[in-house]
Amino acid sequence: MIGRVCMKIAGRDAGKIGVIIDTLENGFVLIDGAVRRRKCNVMHLEFLNEEVKIKKGASHAEVVKALAKFGVVERSGKVKPKTERLKKKRKVKAVKVEKKVKVKEEKKEVKAEKKVVKKKVAKKNA
Amino acid sequence: MAANKYRSRTQRRVFVKTPGGETRLTYRKRKESKQQCGECGADLKGIPRVKISKLSKTQRRPERPYGGVLCSKCMRKKMVEKVLKLLKGEAQ
Repeated sequence: MIGRVCMKIAGRDAGKIGVIIDTLENGFVLIDGAVRRRKCNVMHLEFLNEEVKIKKGASHAEVVKALAKFGVVERSGKVKPKTERLKKKRKVKAVKVEKKVKVKEEKKEVKAEKKVVKKKVAKKNA
Repeated sequence: MAANKYRSRTQRRVFVKTPGGETRLTYRKRKESKQQCGECGADLKGIPRVKISKLSKTQRRPERPYGGVLCSKCMRKKMVEKVLKLLKGEAQ
């Protein structure tokens, strides 16, 4: 059985091509290829008239090599290549802060002037 | 009383007992119809009978080729046909 090329006809991987890697009990086999590597009922497979030389329990890379003729491409894992995120620059806000600071400084100056004036007034009254 | 536009049999009628002891007639929406297989017309399983647009995609249909369009039997037949076609192509 090992090395027989087949297509899954049931479930999520239906219509995808794989190879039997191992035989298990009760009519189950282990398959790999374009399908996900997993245990599978033989009733859910349709065999092509093809065989591939493959070891028992071969790795996914080996299986892909053997099945290159059928257009089976290696699955990319779940890991996504990291993309650099654009960092937001808060230019607008920085300007606002400066303005605020300026306004504050101005206010402070005004207050200081007022104080001076008050002091002067107080001195005059005294 | 419900607005006149709702008082038609396109709505489902439900008798409700009010706290005062009366029975009033209310109108509710009908349940969505079952989806059918495009090939054999059988009722599809695994598709909820609610307004589907409100659900996530995985909740709407079985996650397989032709999921939500063909029943699993017809899908399998299609896949076998696909294999047979492949084999024929090789013979030629």
